[in-house]
Amino acid sequence: MQTINVMFSSRPKLLSEVFHNLIERQPDMRVVGEVVDPIELIFALRKTPTDVIIITPMKANGVPRVCSQLLKEHPRLKILTLTLEGEAVYIYQSGLKRSCIQKPTEQMLLDVIRKGVQ
Amino acid sequence: MKDISIRIVIADDNSLLLEGLVAMIEKLDEFTVVGTAPNGDGALELIQSLRPDVALIDIGMPDKDGLEVTQILHQDMPEVKVIILGLIDLTDEIMACIAAGATGYVLKESSFDHLIETIKAVYRNETFCSPRVAASLFSRIAELTIEVNEQIPINSVKLSPRELEVINLIAEGMPNKEIGLRLFIETQTVKNHIHNILDKLQLHNRFEAVQYARERNLLSKK
Repeated sequence: MQTINVMFSSRPKLLSEVFHNLIERQPDMRVVGEVVDPIELIFALRKTPTDVIIITPMKANGVPRVCSQLLKEHPRLKILTLTLEGEAVYIYQSGLKRSCIQKPTEQMLLDVIRKGVQ
Repeated sequence: MKDISIRIVIADDNSLLLEGLVAMIEKLDEFTVVGTAPNGDGALELIQSLRPDVALIDIGMPDKDGLEVTQILHQDMPEVKVIILGLIDLTDEIMACIAAGATGYVLKESSFDHLIETIKAVYRNETFCSPRVAASLFSRIAELTIEVNEQIPINSVKLSPRELEVINLIAEGMPNKEIGLRLFIETQTVKNHIHNILDKLQLHNRFEAVQYARERNLLSKK
């Protein structure tokens, strides 16, 4: 079974810890890193092989641009950005149009992470 | 099977956070999550039927927000301890939650451990808050204290009947010597009364004292 490497840039802290816990409960996933500012992901990914990134920005400003930059450097990467109140998750993948899932649950998030990675 | 546990209801419209908190809290021996709700109305219904020890309520929910839920719970079920989950440390919001009856306020920027400590504290009828929340509260209390102090001369300074007599005679335009003759006291005693009046009201001269008395209807009507 392939292990899916997940990295975070999520705020607030409580939500970040919840995601951390969720990923660590999965036998086929592991947390490979966590950064505070989405911009830091660009440097973190150059050092750490990552399959999926979860971003929960406090402010959306600049996040789509970070996603473009990351996908350019890592075309196989999958990026999930969650709105702060958790009402939607947006999925960015190289060569694909951004998709969206409304009112995501834990299971829906895990399904999105696994889909196409394994 | 948990022997003695704190029974908790959690209400938050963020499903991911809600499910995650349940999973993490349920792992701990001292707690049992007895129910969850995605909105304010659901939370009220659940809490009314389950009567938990502690309710964790998100501040921003559909239907009724955390503040409204807290007000209703405080009125109908004061035995249920309410902890508000807030997103940012807005001092006015925190103060409003406390006024509504919340016994705790936890920022989502806080750690899970902090949340757990807060739940334990409110269950013991204590308060536990983060340094950030404490700083906001202290700052607001300081502002309120200044406001109250500024109102003291207006509302709570009491002049004695003799001082009121003196101030009335000053308002009539009498000099100190004449006031003394009218009240059968020494001129020096009149000066002492005026000194005391100015000191009590934190004013600078007899004209300000007359103006103060006039504004507050302390002068006898002729």
